[in-house]
Amino acid sequence: MQLAKILHVEDDESIRIIVEMALVDLSGFTLCACESGVEAIAQVEQFAPDLILLDAMMPGMDGLQTLVKLRGKDSCRQTPVVFMTARIQQAEKQQYFDAGAVAVIEKPFEATQLGDELAAIYQRYLLTLTPTNLE
Amino acid sequence: MQAPALPLTEHERLLALQLTGLLDTQSEPRFDRITRLAQLVLGSEIVLISLVDSERQWFKSKQGLDACETGRDISFCGHAILGDGIFEVPNALLDSRFADNPLVTQAPFIRFYAGVPLSRSGERIGTLCFIDSTPRTLTAKEREIATEFAKTVEQEIEDRLQEQAHRQLVASELMYRSVLEGTRIGTWQWNIQTGETLFNQRWAEIVGYTLEELAPISIDTWLKLAHPNDLTESAALLQAHFDGLSPFYDVKCRMLHKDGHYVWVHDRGRVVSWTTEGKPLMMYGTHADITEQKNSELALLQSRDQFQTLVSNIPGITYRCLADENWTMLFMSGHIDPLSGYPATDFIGNAVRSYASVIHPDDQDWLAQAVDEAMTSHSPWQLTYRVLHADGSVRWVEERGMAEYDAEGKVAFLDGFILDVNNEKTLQERLVKLTQQLPGVVYQFQLWPDGRTAFPYASPAIEKIYGLKAEDVKTDASQAFAKIFPDDLAAISQSIDESRHQQKVWQHEYRVFDDEKRLKWLSGRATPELKPDGSTLWHGYIEDITQTKEYYLRLEALNQQLKVAQQCLDLASEQAKIGYWQASLKDGSLWWSPIIYQIFGFDPNAMTPSVAMFKSAVHPDDIVKVEQSEQQARLSGIHNVVHRIIRPDGEVRWVHELAQLVPEEQNPDLMLIGSVQDITDRMKLQQVKDEFISTVSHELRTPLTSIHGALSLLQAGSLVQLPPKAEKLIGIASSNCQQLSRLINDLLDIEKLVAGKMLFEMREMNISPVLKRAINDHKPYAAQQNIVLALELPSQVERCLLRVDEHRLMQVLTNLLSNAVKFSPVGGKVILSATLVEEQIEIAVQDQGPGISADFAQKIFQRFSQADASSAKMKGGTGLGLALCKELVEAMQGSIGFHSKPNAGARFFLRLPVLAHQQSETPKK
Repeated sequence: MQLAKILHVEDDESIRIIVEMALVDLSGFTLCACESGVEAIAQVEQFAPDLILLDAMMPGMDGLQTLVKLRGKDSCRQTPVVFMTARIQQAEKQQYFDAGAVAVIEKPFEATQLGDELAAIYQRYLLTLTPTNLE
Repeated sequence: MQAPALPLTEHERLLALQLTGLLDTQSEPRFDRITRLAQLVLGSEIVLISLVDSERQWFKSKQGLDACETGRDISFCGHAILGDGIFEVPNALLDSRFADNPLVTQAPFIRFYAGVPLSRSGERIGTLCFIDSTPRTLTAKEREIATEFAKTVEQEIEDRLQEQAHRQLVASELMYRSVLEGTRIGTWQWNIQTGETLFNQRWAEIVGYTLEELAPISIDTWLKLAHPNDLTESAALLQAHFDGLSPFYDVKCRMLHKDGHYVWVHDRGRVVSWTTEGKPLMMYGTHADITEQKNSELALLQSRDQFQTLVSNIPGITYRCLADENWTMLFMSGHIDPLSGYPATDFIGNAVRSYASVIHPDDQDWLAQAVDEAMTSHSPWQLTYRVLHADGSVRWVEERGMAEYDAEGKVAFLDGFILDVNNEKTLQERLVKLTQQLPGVVYQFQLWPDGRTAFPYASPAIEKIYGLKAEDVKTDASQAFAKIFPDDLAAISQSIDESRHQQKVWQHEYRVFDDEKRLKWLSGRATPELKPDGSTLWHGYIEDITQTKEYYLRLEALNQQLKVAQQCLDLASEQAKIGYWQASLKDGSLWWSPIIYQIFGFDPNAMTPSVAMFKSAVHPDDIVKVEQSEQQARLSGIHNVVHRIIRPDGEVRWVHELAQLVPEEQNPDLMLIGSVQDITDRMKLQQVKDEFISTVSHELRTPLTSIHGALSLLQAGSLVQLPPKAEKLIGIASSNCQQLSRLINDLLDIEKLVAGKMLFEMREMNISPVLKRAINDHKPYAAQQNIVLALELPSQVERCLLRVDEHRLMQVLTNLLSNAVKFSPVGGKVILSATLVEEQIEIAVQDQGPGISADFAQKIFQRFSQADASSAKMKGGTGLGLALCKELVEAMQGSIGFHSKPNAGARFFLRLPVLAHQQSETPKK
């Protein structure tokens, strides 16, 4: 299975634009960009993403709170979540893994490689999901 | 009525009765049982055991009668004891001997009486009698029964006596034993034929044992403990006793005490039984500890010996001589004159020499004159002069003598005693010499009731002390007092008065003027002696203590300064909230300054400082950290840790502990000295700062992300094609953006390191894979610059285990490698190598760049230092990289350094301690 649909949650408009160019224009994914957690929760069921790219620091509902809400949705219980954060200290990163993130991408990120990186993360995620596919 | 007659053996009979010991004793069941039985068997109204005393009959046992005695004159028993058989009166009224007897005419109205005599030692002492108030005659059978009862009574009397005797025997044996115990005398029994021996407990105690310890006891026990030198005498005395030559075996000998010393014992014994062949069989004896007595005897002997030795050693002679010019001796004590060294016989009658010839020539004339004067005035003389000894020496002697006069008043002879006073004389001379050596003055000071004062004696040093000669003050001390500093006069007078009144030692410190009118300090001490004329004479010593006093005053001043300094320190420590403490690692004692109580919230009145108290306050999450620092202190001597404490009121505070172990050679008590500073306020600030940096870095990164992303996408060229100039500008923007990103990362890292908040994931590992990865990661970048990267990794390094944080080591290598590549000329070579140097791994990065200038070498590891501003712009460095490397390497217990020559490249190296060596290569998977 290939990664096709990505839900991106980010309050900073500039970054939303960059990510959209990187993922849609460069890598050809289908993207749904949301500017807050609330919007993401509203969109997620209809969009049914393969992967969610979630900004950690957002006004109002932050990344971790958003994740909890998203997990409350039936269709979203298993969707892999990748955090994106500017707080890159080990302890800070660890809390996202503890909350269930499959990967953490540090800001600033390499825009030209973002698509490949997410695709790789998604493949690794699939392997953990179906251990019988190991061979 | 007829009173009974007295038996012929009345005296013996009464004695026999007395010896039964029955008279006037309590009734006893043993007799009452018999009389009761007899009463029942013979059906008599009254049955008595009646003992006939000199004036009365007394009933030891009675049935049917209340009275316990009656007069012997009216007794029936008195009659009964006169004959051998039963005495029977069938009807008293019809018997003239008893018809008017009050016992018949009145109660108990005796009619019938039968008495069987009771015998003891062949004397009839009383009867067993049967009485009825009606006439009666006993049958033969009844008489037999009565007689048998009487025999039983006799037997009881005998048994009773036996028992009494036995009881007395037991009592007397007990008494005998108590007496023996009281006298602390041991006893022994010896069967001479079988060797069987018995000792009592005391015997064993005398030699320090218990009987159990000596078991098995035989005559060998004695032989083994006796002093070997005493055995012969003891054997001889024993044989003499066996042979009948002495009534007792009596010996004083030594026995070995359990403690190893000998005790003196006195053994005395006697053979008490002999075999039929006339050999000694049993011997009983006593054994007494006479150590003390023996020791006293020995001490007495010794003191007598001493006395005799003493007398013979008196260094003098007694004499009697004629009052002539030769001092012709008539008698001299001793064999040798100890004073001249010649035999006494030499002088008797001037046989060999005269006594005058041994008197020192210089003393002869005045001596003769002095003795003449004494003889004339009939007074004794005491003279000190010199004698010429046979060995050529001159000796001082003292002679006390007196003339004896005859009836006419003429001098008959002279008696006297001459003593050797050479030692005293020598001592006196020596004392004078010694006194001259003393720095101070030895003196006598006298004060009379009228206020006169003088120094009857003063050693020459008085000149140094008072600037006066002894003669100046011999009769008047006022010149000395004139030298005393006026302010001190009153006190010195008072102290002299006190010493005189209380007769106690005078001790005083005071000042005098010397010749140059300078003040000097003196210290005096003297013992008073009350003289018969009411004056007081002090014997003492005065010394100059000016220097000591000055030292003392200086010390006082220093102490004062120290006190002020201490107060300053206390004040400062209170202001800064720094407490200090000291602990001895040797005896565990601990002291801390008052501010520590304040910091910890301890009540100073309710507790004493203790390590446990201190530890109990440490925040549970910080205990490990504190203990690690303490362990570190044992190695490095420095204890340095920041941690939290919880005060009794629950408040959490931050403290900074800093302690140092003073080097052992200057620190015999292993004192650890340290400080504790309350840094809560600082830590709060730090927290604010941390949050600020974290926030700022986030806020900086967010726009940076957009800029970087936008530039990357533009540079990628897939989205838009840019004109070459725009592309160049985008390149510049992108490179600066990356540098900004690195700067933020490095800043964050270094802040964390400095604050000690960076967490290290230290684990044991082989570093070869890290080195290989570092090379691989940098190859693309190096290739861009056309630079070759090489790795030199000897196999011995591959086998070493190090304890490092892999991620942080990688960070250091990245920094060093990117620097090396950055500064290398195009086409150059950068070598990453690892070598084993002693017990450390040295990882080095060698480049072929311009090297490091001497100026820059000084500050290369400081923050924000770069060789020059232009290089930063050119090479894109943050100026934090090497500072960060240094902090990281040191945090991993390593060190960092470099070697460089201008234009010959630089070699940066870091050294990390090797933990272990792997014996063989790990098998490859």
